[in-house]
Amino acid sequence: MAQVLVVDDSATVRNEVGDFLKKNGLDVVTAVDGRDGLDKLKADARIKLVVSDVNMPNMDGLTMAEKIRGELRNSTVNIIMLTTENTPIMKERGKAAGIKGWIVKPFKGEAVIATFKKLAEG
Amino acid sequence: MQEAAQLVSKVLVLNDDAEVRGHIKAFCDAHHLIPVKPQAGAALTVLKSNVDLGAIFMQETYTGEGGNALELARAIHAIRPELPIFLRREAASHLDDLPDLYRGIFTAAYTTSTIDELAPLIDKNIFSFQYPNALVRGITEITKNTLETQFKGVEVRTEAPYMVRDRIIYGELFTLIPLESTWCRGYMMLQTEEGPLIKYVEDGRTHISRDPANFRDINHVMGEVTNLIWGAFKNRFISNEPVDWRQSQVPLIVNHEHRYISFGSEDPQLCFRYTLVDPNGEATPLVLYQRFVFNLSWAPEKFKENEVLTEDLFESGELELF
Repeated sequence: MAQVLVVDDSATVRNEVGDFLKKNGLDVVTAVDGRDGLDKLKADARIKLVVSDVNMPNMDGLTMAEKIRGELRNSTVNIIMLTTENTPIMKERGKAAGIKGWIVKPFKGEAVIATFKKLAEG
Repeated sequence: MQEAAQLVSKVLVLNDDAEVRGHIKAFCDAHHLIPVKPQAGAALTVLKSNVDLGAIFMQETYTGEGGNALELARAIHAIRPELPIFLRREAASHLDDLPDLYRGIFTAAYTTSTIDELAPLIDKNIFSFQYPNALVRGITEITKNTLETQFKGVEVRTEAPYMVRDRIIYGELFTLIPLESTWCRGYMMLQTEEGPLIKYVEDGRTHISRDPANFRDINHVMGEVTNLIWGAFKNRFISNEPVDWRQSQVPLIVNHEHRYISFGSEDPQLCFRYTLVDPNGEATPLVLYQRFVFNLSWAPEKFKENEVLTEDLFESGELELF
């Protein structure tokens, strides 16, 4: 089954998003910040979609996205940012890092699940 | 500056003279003050439970605590020095003849006939900051919407925002997050009680369901509520203009014994109170206090709401594909 990696320092969001995705048939791995996200991605080749917050301790989500494309040389995993941030500067940086899309919190699962499934199943 | 919001403030009235009550009430009504009158003997209890006062109006011959009013004022000042105390006297509307021990406790004195002379002092001590109406209204909207997404099966009730001088921390849990912009620099603080929030988690009313729940679970809930409000605040009210990060900072001081937090400024704070109520009456109401403390910089004349470009019209929760 395709894996989705949910990266957020908030346990509330990890629970909310993770539970929703599991209920909709997706397999979920979670990480608590960008550094943990990179480690989880390195360890599991089945991850096809990363859903990540931007503002996190240790390593933010945009830096993690840049490292996924750069250091990990992983150009295939789909990355979606799920964040309170909504500034053009942030989004431009995300686009440059090859992220696929942007969602401003709060999470509304029904609005995105169809696309998430497509992205997770490659 | 845009139109300023008309704010109110709660004042504790220690008065047992029925003839004067009407004068004080009329003055409060005219100056956007909400009088709070304690039961006899309960002034200090009220001070322990009310964390959102703007000032105290006290009668020099007040007998409600069964003792010397000036000594009561001294006791109040010892525990709540940030609250201005206005002393009503029978003849003199000054403090000159009070013993040194008491004189410094009071902000000003007045008589029934000179109460209106307090107006400028009320403005100076409580309503010294003007807040744009769009900001005050927007904060309420953002916060109410956030609470509705983070708590299930509750109705979020709001009260008219008000000014406080209290520095007392409500409940056991509070969060702080900085707000930095070209028109404001300071903090947003959320405060609540641990007990009801733990019960909300255990009852499955949050996105973390755990039974039994512990303090870490509710930390996560409040953390995300704070994060969501902060994000929405930034998106709506903080422009992309760069802020000079080399600007000054001051230490925040928390005294756990006295449940007291200082931001280094004596200015009054903008306060909102939200109550989460279960329409079926099954859950204990959960009260959240939200304060905005612009202790580092406040320039409301530069305030403006961010314009939303048509191409950016993605609702929160919608996926914007690149």
